Amino acid sequence: MAHRRSLHSLARLISSSSTVAPRCTVKSLASILPNHFSTAAISSSSDCILPDSEATFWCSSLFSRNRARHFCSSSRKDDDEGEDEEDGDEDDDEESEGDYSDEDEEGARESSDSNSKPKPPPPGPVDKVARAAEIGYKVVGKLRPSEKVFKPYEPVYAVVQIGSHQFKVSNGDTIVAEKLKFCDINDKLILTKVLLLGSATQTIVGRPIVPDSAVHAVVEEHALDEKVIIFKKKRRKNYRRTKGHRQELTRLRITDIQGIAKPEIKVDPKPTKPTKPSKPTKPSKPTVEEQEQVAVAA
Amino acid sequence: MALRGVWHLRKLVVSYSDWGGSSRGIRAFMDSRIPSFKEANPHLELETELIRGQHPHLKAFCKNNNERVVCVRNMTPEEVLLHATRLRNALGRKVVKLKTRHVTKHLSVQQRIICSSRTQNLPKTHS
Repeated sequence: MAHRRSLHSLARLISSSSTVAPRCTVKSLASILPNHFSTAAISSSSDCILPDSEATFWCSSLFSRNRARHFCSSSRKDDDEGEDEEDGDEDDDEESEGDYSDEDEEGARESSDSNSKPKPPPPGPVDKVARAAEIGYKVVGKLRPSEKVFKPYEPVYAVVQIGSHQFKVSNGDTIVAEKLKFCDINDKLILTKVLLLGSATQTIVGRPIVPDSAVHAVVEEHALDEKVIIFKKKRRKNYRRTKGHRQELTRLRITDIQGIAKPEIKVDPKPTKPTKPSKPTKPSKPTVEEQEQVAVAA
Repeated sequence: MALRGVWHLRKLVVSYSDWGGSSRGIRAFMDSRIPSFKEANPHLELETELIRGQHPHLKAFCKNNNERVVCVRNMTPEEVLLHATRLRNALGRKVVKLKTRHVTKHLSVQQRIICSSRTQNLPKTHS
């Protein structure tokens, strides 16, 4: 270890002189050494412990490190120059921001893109679909004015997941989710993450998702929520920060639930008033209601 | 916003100044972005209004007779377009804090059955 340390110190000294060739043997090193370091000791150490080949390896590795260091410093210089250039370009951008003509804007964008870190490209259509599927929806298409997708209420419900929120919905309900980026107003959506389906007589529980089921919805609104004030304060430190935030939300209207048998709605005729109030009869015992079936989706 | 497929923004008035510096962005918006915006929203009535010496603003008239005004001074064309799109997408209602994220008119189907069975099974108190 002591020998290695001595070699390290040697290499440092030589790198400081900066006139040494990168590859050299211990003997040549000894010839360059300053006076205060005894050449004999080094030669003896190299003879006794390190074979020549190993010594050359050590020296070369050390020198290569030094060289790398040297390059680092030079690269730093280069970086500084690059930063200077960037600064200059930024100044140019600021100057060009004065006028909002299209050409200037494009030029400024290009220059800013070339100088700053490479931004991730905007998501393509395939990427958008994948990201939307991850959240739990799929855009089907635009709602046409001639289409009649808004149906009357059906006694069926579903639990759907959008992002990290779960909603218990039935036909005609409106829900407010976090903003769904990849859809526009009046887009028809399919909410794919259906966790549970239920009707009066049946319940289907997904593990975690019910297969072959879907909830259809239409995008009604992209809006901002009410402003929330974030107020930070540290007592006795003269520190107060106030910040406002408005969350972006999307309102959806559920149009259809698929994957469960829908019972028909019985439309009762208007009850006619009885002419004479009949004698109150004893209430019959409650009939055994239909047992609710609970199924677990495979 | 479109409620059941019916757009609620009827009219958008773009007011600007042909002289002021704060209207620079909206002037560029009117040159470059308004034609495409108009094409994308044929249901919308777009008007431009020259008010010299005033800051520019967008004024939205909704179907529920509400109007909303957004100041767009010193904004870039992209920002102005964003605000115009938000006005198109937004409901004309007053912004209030959401109490619930789920609005329904109907009681749950199964809950209704449970309630009815409970009421039927209640013991009699008076003979």
